[in-house]
Amino acid sequence: MLVIGVLAGLATAAVAYFIPWLPDQGAKEAVQIDNVYWVATIICIVIFGIVAGVTIYSVFKFRARPDDEEDGAPIHGHTGLEIFWTAVPTALVTAISVYSGVVLVGNEKVQKNHGVVEVTAQQFAWSFTYPDEGITTGELVVPIGRQVELKMTSKDVIHSFWVPEWRLKQDVVPGVTTRLLVTPNKLGTYDVICTELCGLGHAAMRARARVVEPAEYAKWVQDVKAARAQGGTAQGKELFTSAGCGGCHTLADAGTSGQVGPSLDQALKGKDAAFVRQSIVDPNAVIAQGYQPNVMPQDFGSTLSKAQIDGLVEYLLKATGGGG
Amino acid sequence: MMAIEAYEHHGAGAAGHHAPPRRPTGLRRFTAAGWLRVAWVTPLSFGLATAIVEGARAGLGTPTSWHNQNTFQTLLVAWYVMVPLGFLIALGAFDYWFYWISGRPTRPEDHSSHGARSWKDYFRVNTDHKVIGIQYVCTTFFFAMISGLLALFMRAELARPGMQFVDNNQFNGFFSVHASVMIFLFIVPVFAGLGNFVIPLMIGAPDMAFPRLNALSFWLLPIGGLIMLSSYLIPGGAFSAGWTNYVPLAVVQPDGNLAFQMGVQWAGASSIVTALNFLVTIITMRAPGMTFWRMPLLVWANFATSTLVVLATPFIAGSQFFIMFDRVLHTNFFNPGNGGYAIGYQHIFWFYSHPAVYIMILPGFGIISEVIAVHARKPIFGYRLMALSLMGILILGFSVWAHHMFVSGMQPWLRIPMMATTLLIAVPTGIKVFSWLATLWEGRIHFRTPMLWAVGFISMFVLGGLSGIYLGSVPIDQHASDTYYIVAHIHYVLFGGSVFTIFAGIYHWFPKMTGRMYNERLGKLHFWTTLIAFNVTFFPMHWLGLQGMPRRVSDYAPRFADWNMVISIASFALGASTLIFLYNMIVSWRSGEPAPSNPWRALTIEWLVSSPPPVFNFDEIPQVVGSPYEYGVKGARHAVMGGERADVQEPHKVGSH
Repeated sequence: MLVIGVLAGLATAAVAYFIPWLPDQGAKEAVQIDNVYWVATIICIVIFGIVAGVTIYSVFKFRARPDDEEDGAPIHGHTGLEIFWTAVPTALVTAISVYSGVVLVGNEKVQKNHGVVEVTAQQFAWSFTYPDEGITTGELVVPIGRQVELKMTSKDVIHSFWVPEWRLKQDVVPGVTTRLLVTPNKLGTYDVICTELCGLGHAAMRARARVVEPAEYAKWVQDVKAARAQGGTAQGKELFTSAGCGGCHTLADAGTSGQVGPSLDQALKGKDAAFVRQSIVDPNAVIAQGYQPNVMPQDFGSTLSKAQIDGLVEYLLKATGGGG
Repeated sequence: MMAIEAYEHHGAGAAGHHAPPRRPTGLRRFTAAGWLRVAWVTPLSFGLATAIVEGARAGLGTPTSWHNQNTFQTLLVAWYVMVPLGFLIALGAFDYWFYWISGRPTRPEDHSSHGARSWKDYFRVNTDHKVIGIQYVCTTFFFAMISGLLALFMRAELARPGMQFVDNNQFNGFFSVHASVMIFLFIVPVFAGLGNFVIPLMIGAPDMAFPRLNALSFWLLPIGGLIMLSSYLIPGGAFSAGWTNYVPLAVVQPDGNLAFQMGVQWAGASSIVTALNFLVTIITMRAPGMTFWRMPLLVWANFATSTLVVLATPFIAGSQFFIMFDRVLHTNFFNPGNGGYAIGYQHIFWFYSHPAVYIMILPGFGIISEVIAVHARKPIFGYRLMALSLMGILILGFSVWAHHMFVSGMQPWLRIPMMATTLLIAVPTGIKVFSWLATLWEGRIHFRTPMLWAVGFISMFVLGGLSGIYLGSVPIDQHASDTYYIVAHIHYVLFGGSVFTIFAGIYHWFPKMTGRMYNERLGKLHFWTTLIAFNVTFFPMHWLGLQGMPRRVSDYAPRFADWNMVISIASFALGASTLIFLYNMIVSWRSGEPAPSNPWRALTIEWLVSSPPPVFNFDEIPQVVGSPYEYGVKGARHAVMGGERADVQEPHKVGSH
């Protein structure tokens, strides 16, 4: 019996060990969370090993022939055993509770000098405001190694912010400011995924999170500001990526490959400025064949300044070879 | 009372009382309870509802614009209230009460609505708990097939990344209707159906305590289901905010969302009424000698479940009424723009919907206890602790709801206490699992189909329970919440858990319900194909979720393509395995071998009567003389019929204090 229990446990452990269950760790908090995960996994493997072992053993050992009219042994219970399998699980789950609580409290300790980013979600786009820098972009850029506090709210329905590599998730709720504390510790570009059903475009509601060296972060802030100041196509190109357009639309010039909305290389080919502008501020006016209305946010006309929209239109015309 | 009187009548051998009622003739057929009356009263109530709304609007100077969402909703609510009421009245669900209220002679003694002589008797208001049980099971499987089909549509779309067959609106409708119908029209009520058939027989009662209420509670159910499915006919498509129907999304959705809100009311009313009936039946109608400590565990389980239903279900009814008011009356319960609190909805919703998880599994625990004891030929190990752990789950079940909201933005302090209670609930659940294993130990296990499902259930449910430990831990939940890991978890507990117990129960009591044996080879084939297809479908979802695939999406990153293809293929095999079950049930019911009264040599009372049982269950009152699980104890009996009472000594004093 023990042998089968151990074998079942080992088989499960092998599955647990050799399959990469969790994505890369991209934040200090992720390391702690993964430790809880593996502690829970060890406990669960032992328990499942026992259950599967006893079941398999019983199935073979105590099987009756169809014509067997005998009954089993009239065992009604065993107080010692019953106390044992009440007490041990109680101790185990209490241990998991305590450990989880300690990790949670540790992960949510606010560091001095932490950065702040204000996150705004709407159907179906993210935007990120950096109050210290005075800029707003469509991608989240944070310097490595510094704790950042995301202060999040929604303009319409409930969304949820998740970066799998950070292991952290927090709903973004209208009328409420929710918080998420993260200390990214690995350079790279990650997906920001909306995980709370928010309507038609839910599956497509993505943004990018970039973790960069502090020097690169400072340069990025300068570049964004410079592009804004410069106006025209430079600002337009910067906006195209930062406002999240590329998350849904393919545009060769900007190097984006989103599939949710129509490819702008085709949809805007040969169109004039008025059409491009209308498509940004009133996206339901003309819907490309094969696509649905109400997926693209309809308030770019109010969230972007007139100069920004001008820049975007100018850039899109240039990038798609249109004119007029 | 009526049931008791009926019982004594029957005991006196007054068979003539149960002759079919005289059929009304001529125009009378249109005014007598039945489908002819339904045919004209239902359209009439539709017209009446429309007239009331339009009349009131005309009076206020705001006639309905059919294209204006705001005004069309009012009509929908009126229809969803009045058309079902008209249907129930016409079918005769309230006839007795109307007669009584208006002082006309009631017909309490002719039992004209009791029992089934032909298939037609299953399509009318029938007060026989055995007929109602079968009505429930067949209706719930009808809805399960429809909603299973919706799941297959989803898997077809998800087989490859990108959009192939449907658009986002249809896709979101598929998973919303799939989950709602599976939960409210299949898993919750199918247990009410099995319980309806088995519980009165098991406790030695002639029927449920309130047979007419029982009939009403059944007919409320298909109304809830048809309302939910009717959302496909409403402009804008089916409701598509998930079965959780979170606000504000639910408020800004097209009108189909009302079908969820109103469907839940009818299905919920059905649950509450049945649960009250079970409670009164179990408390007051047990056979002489059946103390609480001699009740079979299925009876304990239904007792605990019914308590949960009565206490919790009003909360979901309230939550959906609030949404309906926010939509139709423009109140601001959940509208953050006007002082409402969106997360407040989630608290009310989960205060029902977490206990609902136990509503969907406790009766299954009861079924598994019966099946394992009978087919392993052993007394249940630790009977009293098994019963107490059911009550423990019942109490703890009310203190864990916010674990669905760890990342919702609710009050942060609430997370750690809710984590502690959530993980603690593993203890009574663990007690049950270990006690089942100990019951198998040293048994003489007969692997007939019900036993295969029961043993399969243990491992599958433990997998679902263990993934629940991860989700109960706040830090892990921050990563795993709202991903495919959740989809895997709920299908392990609801399919590997609840549905496996439902199959175990149906195969176990099939001979009693139909009087015929099912086909054992097909039963085993059904089990093995389901077990394999189920695991291939749902196990990889754990990995997908942890790796970064969110739930409720019509499209996903290309790196998840291979596993999604595997899952889709397996899900179609899973669907096909259900066809084996349906074929087996239909063919065996028509032409299976006649079943003896006790094919499994079980001890509980339902096996002491013929298969199927007589209309009033017992010709004489059974006397309970011992524990229900005394397998292997020489000469032990659970119950004896009146005549042999004197000869039997109480062999084993389980319930002596």
